[in-house]
Amino acid sequence: MTLTAFVVAPAAQAPVGGQRQAAPPAATTSDTLRLPFDTYTLPNGLTVILSQDKTTPTVSVNVWYKVGSKNETPGRTGFAHLFEHVMFTGSGNVPYGLHDKLTEGVGGSNNGTTSNDRTTYFETVPSNYLESALWLEADRMGYLLDALDLAKLNAQRDIVKNERRQSVDNQPYGRAREILAHATYPPTHPYSWDVIGSMSDLSAASEEDVKNFFRLYYAPNNAFLAIVGDFEPAQVRAWVTRYFGDVPRGKPITRPKVDPVTLQSEKRLVYEDRVQVPRLYVQWPTVGEKSDDRFALDVLASILAGPRTARITKALVYDEQSAATVNIFQSTNEDVGDFVLMMTPRPGHALTNLEAAADAIIERLKSDGPTAEEIQKATAGEELGFVRSLESNLGKAMRLSDGAGFHGDAGYFRTEYKKTLSVTAEDVKRVANKYLTRGRVVLSVVPAGKLDQASKPEQSTRVTEYDEKKPEGGK
Amino acid sequence: MTGRIVLVIALGLSLTASAQQGLDRKKVPPAGPMPVLRVPAWTKSALANGADLIVSEKHDLPLVSLSITFLGGDNQFEPAGRQGVASLTAALLSEGTKTRNGDALSNALQLLGTTVTSNVGGETGSVGFVSTTAKFGATLDILSDMLLNSTFPAAGLERLRGQRLVALTQARAQPGSIANRVFPRIVFGSNHPYGRIVTEESLKAITRDDIVAFHKAYYQPGRALITVVGDTTLAAAKPVVEKALAGWTRGGERPAFNYPSVAEPRSTTIFLVDKPGAAQSTFAIGRPGPPRSTPDYYALQVMNTILGGMFQSRLNANIREEKGYSYGVNSGFGYGKGPGAFRAGGDIVTAKSDAALIEFMKELRGIVGSRPVTDEELTTAKDALVQRLPGTFASVNSINVAITTLWTQNLPDDYYQQYAKRIAAITKDDVLRVAKQYVTVDNLAIVIVGDRSVIEGPLKAAGIAPIVLYDIEGNPVVTQ
Repeated sequence: MTLTAFVVAPAAQAPVGGQRQAAPPAATTSDTLRLPFDTYTLPNGLTVILSQDKTTPTVSVNVWYKVGSKNETPGRTGFAHLFEHVMFTGSGNVPYGLHDKLTEGVGGSNNGTTSNDRTTYFETVPSNYLESALWLEADRMGYLLDALDLAKLNAQRDIVKNERRQSVDNQPYGRAREILAHATYPPTHPYSWDVIGSMSDLSAASEEDVKNFFRLYYAPNNAFLAIVGDFEPAQVRAWVTRYFGDVPRGKPITRPKVDPVTLQSEKRLVYEDRVQVPRLYVQWPTVGEKSDDRFALDVLASILAGPRTARITKALVYDEQSAATVNIFQSTNEDVGDFVLMMTPRPGHALTNLEAAADAIIERLKSDGPTAEEIQKATAGEELGFVRSLESNLGKAMRLSDGAGFHGDAGYFRTEYKKTLSVTAEDVKRVANKYLTRGRVVLSVVPAGKLDQASKPEQSTRVTEYDEKKPEGGK
Repeated sequence: MTGRIVLVIALGLSLTASAQQGLDRKKVPPAGPMPVLRVPAWTKSALANGADLIVSEKHDLPLVSLSITFLGGDNQFEPAGRQGVASLTAALLSEGTKTRNGDALSNALQLLGTTVTSNVGGETGSVGFVSTTAKFGATLDILSDMLLNSTFPAAGLERLRGQRLVALTQARAQPGSIANRVFPRIVFGSNHPYGRIVTEESLKAITRDDIVAFHKAYYQPGRALITVVGDTTLAAAKPVVEKALAGWTRGGERPAFNYPSVAEPRSTTIFLVDKPGAAQSTFAIGRPGPPRSTPDYYALQVMNTILGGMFQSRLNANIREEKGYSYGVNSGFGYGKGPGAFRAGGDIVTAKSDAALIEFMKELRGIVGSRPVTDEELTTAKDALVQRLPGTFASVNSINVAITTLWTQNLPDDYYQQYAKRIAAITKDDVLRVAKQYVTVDNLAIVIVGDRSVIEGPLKAAGIAPIVLYDIEGNPVVTQ
């Protein structure tokens, strides 16, 4: 399917006057995938995606900036997310507090999220407040720095540090994610640090850092604006031009070069945490958004764990009852991905045995492949999941902007759906053999003083209260 | 310096461009006319066995949400010393029936692409699912099999018991979970249903006979409401429901919700639970509150929205946004059939525990009179509450919840149509009156779970209230 490609074009090639092009009727899609949308670009490079749905008198606005923690540099980790907080402190024409008043204060909601790859800001408002929502978003895209000062930055810095304490440091197993990222990716790799960043880096961010970051990344040519819900298209187009049309285009952006990662051998780590029960994590580097193998990896994950008949769940949680919980998922970022296994033992069962049992099941799947029924069960929920996602204006706005931002195609959900449903047993067997190799990270999180509860403790390197930029045991 | 220059340039650009379009960016765009509230319609009916049936149509997507809701929960139906039996029974519905074992049930549901959820809470329980329209009948047949023909295999019970014991152990490492267990025990006492918690002892005491007895007593049509919401009609859904539940015979009645009275709260006290090394202190500050049926409900909603019910509420604006002591604090009421607690709190950075408590108390004192609610606060809170309503009817599940809530809480059919009028009637005097009555500052339990070695000294020095030490199970620590 041809859609206008909008990904950050240099100024000289920008279409003058923008392009207005409706998504062509999708001949190949079933009725299930009925999510009509229009998309066009403004002269300043802003991609606009509109999808009308009058079922509920609300509208969701999602502004998606193509910047995340992978655009940070070592020593300034956590910056993209800190910046997300700064975006809620008011802008040139919007005093602090008004954003909440015009969203939550009128019965709506707002929030922002930061990932490795993108930062996204969204609000859902009663449909009669759409114009003010667009005004708010345009003002912080165009005029944030007019209202920024060091005091605001410092206040948000403290809040983000509290967020880190709450979601990482004070959370049992909360540091596992960043330990795994440090160990999976080489020290300067853009995916080697966690989105939340380190305490010392958060302290180091200067006002100038914030301003430079904003000028480069928070420009319309690096943004995707999705509007979904109860609106009149002609009116919305006029408002978008009115509020976003004169926000100046930014400079061309150099994206970080992201090399795929393979581990030559197994890295075994153990971390002592304030937990009562140990937990085992196994992480394999896999693929990101751009590789179709991610669909087979998703199916593989649900064949291995989740429902009670999934292979590892059935063997360890139900039959042997050596595990209290087993979780497996493929985490897909834009350029890279990870396949992650987490297991919590029942009392009296050792992580070493859990690991060996899970490995044996994975090896069997690698040699025999899954059954046709396993494939069918893993994909049967796709239709319901998709149709349910159409019930939320915000969910639709997110889906459309992810497609536009990562694939240059707001209608990428159709491809995603089709490719998931066409995964075969052969595909699953192939990706299991290709990615679930000995090149992996095995992390045991154990209660303080119980290093012997690790899986194969004698082969595991202890991760101490490390300098977050250079994990011990990373090598 | 550089920053200033750039700022001027940016401003200049904005003025030029805006002038061309005649756009004054300082001006807040006015809101359009408020959309008309469209409350979904529904039809009430009943099955021959006495269960209520409500069907609400929504045809824009091929989805149906069905749930069977039971009035009463573990507070009414769990025998003494068997806390956890209600939730275990709900989970055991997935473990096998007379004709399908647990794996067969799971496989059948996976192939239908859906899951049947089942739970029992304090005052209600439910089983239900969301399916595509095409899979509705087949999914309902499985739900019916689980509800009526479960065999409660002993092996399933032992496995679930083991998993829950691990979860309980893990909860002891989580400051938030500790506070959730300790706070109700302190506020209501362990003899009140609201103060009972699941313990290792109660989990270990439960037998298969307890499960069978609970199932028999609880899952009865006489206290059930069946709601079907989505791409169907009463004429289409009723025969399917009747056929699927044909074996469900009459029985059971709606329970009375007679709660013992709660002892008058003692004078404000800090209950400190030591969690060595904690990076944050979890605060839970509160006291017993009114039931959902209180005529003060609307005034309380407005009051709490101002105090701690939104991002820019007084508590969060001060303690998170202005002081930076937390990632977020809030307040709310439990609103059940009994005296659901008022609770304010959040996770506070360890070193600021004393300073944050001073601010909490300042805001509580403020709402009960020292800082009167402004017209702007009142208007914003009312707007937020009223204009939020249309969004709650967006999905088949949320409509189902909206309808079921009216049934479980004995609210009138035109509740949603009347809601805006009720909220609009609330005055600043109402807000002050309910704050004084239900918040107070002299009878609060202040539960703080945190690193005692760091926070006890400063909390004592702050002089807010006497400190007593409790353990992570909510028992007083006996000191030698």
